[in-house]
Amino acid sequence: MFLTKLALKNLIRHRNRTLITACIIAAAVFLYLIFDSLIAGMTDMSYDTLIDYETGHLQIVHRDYWAEEEKLPLEDLLSLEELATLSQVDGEVARSPELAFPARLSNGMNELPVVGKGIIPDEFLRIFPLEDKFVAGSMFALGEYKAVMGKRLADLLDLQVGDFITLLVRDKNETFNTIEAEIGGLIHTINANVNQNVVYVPLDIAGHALAVPEKVSKVIIKLEDKNGAPRIAREIEARLPAKIGAYPWNELEAITFAGAKNAGIMVMTTILLVIAAIAIVNTVILAALERMGEIGMMKAMGLQEKELIYLFVTESVGIGILGGLAGVLLGLIGVALLVRIGIDWSAQTGVDMSSFGIPVLGTMYGSWNPLAFLRIFCFSLIVSFFASIPPAYWAAAKDPIEAIEYR
Amino acid sequence: MALLELKGVTKVYQQGKIEVPALRGIDLTVEAGEFTTLFGPSGSGKTTLLNLVGCLDKPTGGTILFDGQDLAALSKKELAMIRREHIGFIFQSYNLIPVLTAYENVEFAIRLVNKHSDREIKDKVMGILAAVGLEGLENRRPNELSGGQKQRVAIARALVKEPKLVLADEPSANLDSKTSEEVLAVMAKMNRELGTTFIFSTHDPLVMDYARRLLEIRDGVITLDRRRDEAIVSH
Ligand SMILES: Nc1ncnc2c1ncn2[C@@H]1O[C@H](COP(=O)(O)OP(=O)(O)OP(=O)(O)O)[C@@H](O)[C@H]1O
Ligand SMILES: [Mg+2]
Repeated sequence: MFLTKLALKNLIRHRNRTLITACIIAAAVFLYLIFDSLIAGMTDMSYDTLIDYETGHLQIVHRDYWAEEEKLPLEDLLSLEELATLSQVDGEVARSPELAFPARLSNGMNELPVVGKGIIPDEFLRIFPLEDKFVAGSMFALGEYKAVMGKRLADLLDLQVGDFITLLVRDKNETFNTIEAEIGGLIHTINANVNQNVVYVPLDIAGHALAVPEKVSKVIIKLEDKNGAPRIAREIEARLPAKIGAYPWNELEAITFAGAKNAGIMVMTTILLVIAAIAIVNTVILAALERMGEIGMMKAMGLQEKELIYLFVTESVGIGILGGLAGVLLGLIGVALLVRIGIDWSAQTGVDMSSFGIPVLGTMYGSWNPLAFLRIFCFSLIVSFFASIPPAYWAAAKDPIEAIEYR
Repeated sequence: MALLELKGVTKVYQQGKIEVPALRGIDLTVEAGEFTTLFGPSGSGKTTLLNLVGCLDKPTGGTILFDGQDLAALSKKELAMIRREHIGFIFQSYNLIPVLTAYENVEFAIRLVNKHSDREIKDKVMGILAAVGLEGLENRRPNELSGGQKQRVAIARALVKEPKLVLADEPSANLDSKTSEEVLAVMAKMNRELGTTFIFSTHDPLVMDYARRLLEIRDGVITLDRRRDEAIVSH
């Protein structure tokens, strides 16, 4: 108790050194929190980009189809008739069926592999807010031999609204077929996949060309609250035959920044560790050198080495608490600004980040992650604790006579 | 039983490859309650001897019995425990803890002994501070005290736990003669009232007048050991 009191008094007495070291730790904590928030923000945004343009909040899919989804098979499809019996679920805003198929897009001279998607335009637009993403033309209606695609994809094949395209496909019986269509509209979104790889056509036309009329690969559902997705998915599954599954958005494979996040956090954590540890080691050594006489006297008075170590370690942890708290406070402010105001990259660089697959159009926002605050605070305590032990040990092991005579 | 018994104690310092003999065979017995001055020229071995009997260092040869216990047999920790409970140190450079008040500096020493209630601690600390003449200055920090006052705090700190032995290495070296007389008078008073054994080293002839036993040390051997019934300056 007395030693703890003494440690606190030393911290107050050597105010400047305490503050400088605490500031270094605070800066490291702050940097970490900002970085974490931005990465988490990018992950959120990439999820939102998927939810808003590709996956919706929930998908109803045949379980066997789900397992093979990347091949976009024409097996294990759902029938529209069957699906019509599934009444609206609580919290559902809209639903849209989709028939996805692999295709080769041709302008008559060149070809590109694309993903074709047969959709019902009205229902599709209720889920994906594409109306204001048209840079030319507009959405088609059912029954029209028209297509909508990304402006970037169109540019690759030198296509414009009004031009005719051919989609080369294989139908359900593996027979080659084509869909001839006029380009009805070109879109530009923040989803690079939609911009570059997808061609939308009316569902009825696709179904006919693929020999799977009235069938779809999946039904996409939009909810009032995306966090309700896992619960509603379970409700829907209970009402459907066992072979059909309902998959919430968080089970879909997003372009998560999880990899970048983990690597980044490793780097940040290491940097924090090194910076904080150096600051602490330095502080303890300085304190010990300055207080050699005191250390000698305390040892002469019969203080055990472990008590002296306790004294120095307590001082360091005190600095760690101070720096950690200050860093967390600054972090709260910084992250709040990132969440509310964000960083406008395109204004800074003039580059459209979405062309790199980074789903950022305009402003990039941070994300709240309370766990990160807790984690980094504990971490700064742990570092200040462990970093102080070796120098404290060194100081405590000093010979009392030499320490007293030390000048 | 004598408080201290030294037999053939030698101490050789190793300075690189050179061996520096600091003590060359000290035989000495100190009884409880003695007030002893150790004097001799610079480099004669006074500090070395005090460090040895103070359990801060180990002799190269010979034996030291403290209260009948052979110090050579004790570990570092056990030596620290002896210092904590039974030995008080007063150094010429005071070595007070700057962030603690006079009261707290003294309190620290008695808290380490861990034998007393909070109430007793308060009474003892206030009592000893009054006895060394620091009444009213309890809440001052060392930097708010004069040299003499600081040395009084150091004396109070050494005495508060009522140790068996107090070692003072040139306690008056940083003090003017008037202040050092005052400080010595305080130590003599404590010796009389509490029966605490004092050994102090000094160059100062004035200091010697306070002692009832004079030890002269030269080149690491005791060359004079004289007791007198009364100190020249009566306490
Ligand atoms: N740590 C050490 N290493 C090497 N030699 C030492 C060491 N400490 C003391 N000595 C030597 O031992 C001898 C005795 O020193 P000591 O400090 O005991 O003398 P002293 O009587 O206290 O002198 P002073 O009056 O100057 O304080 C001296 O020759 C000194 O140089
Ligand atoms: Mg000396």
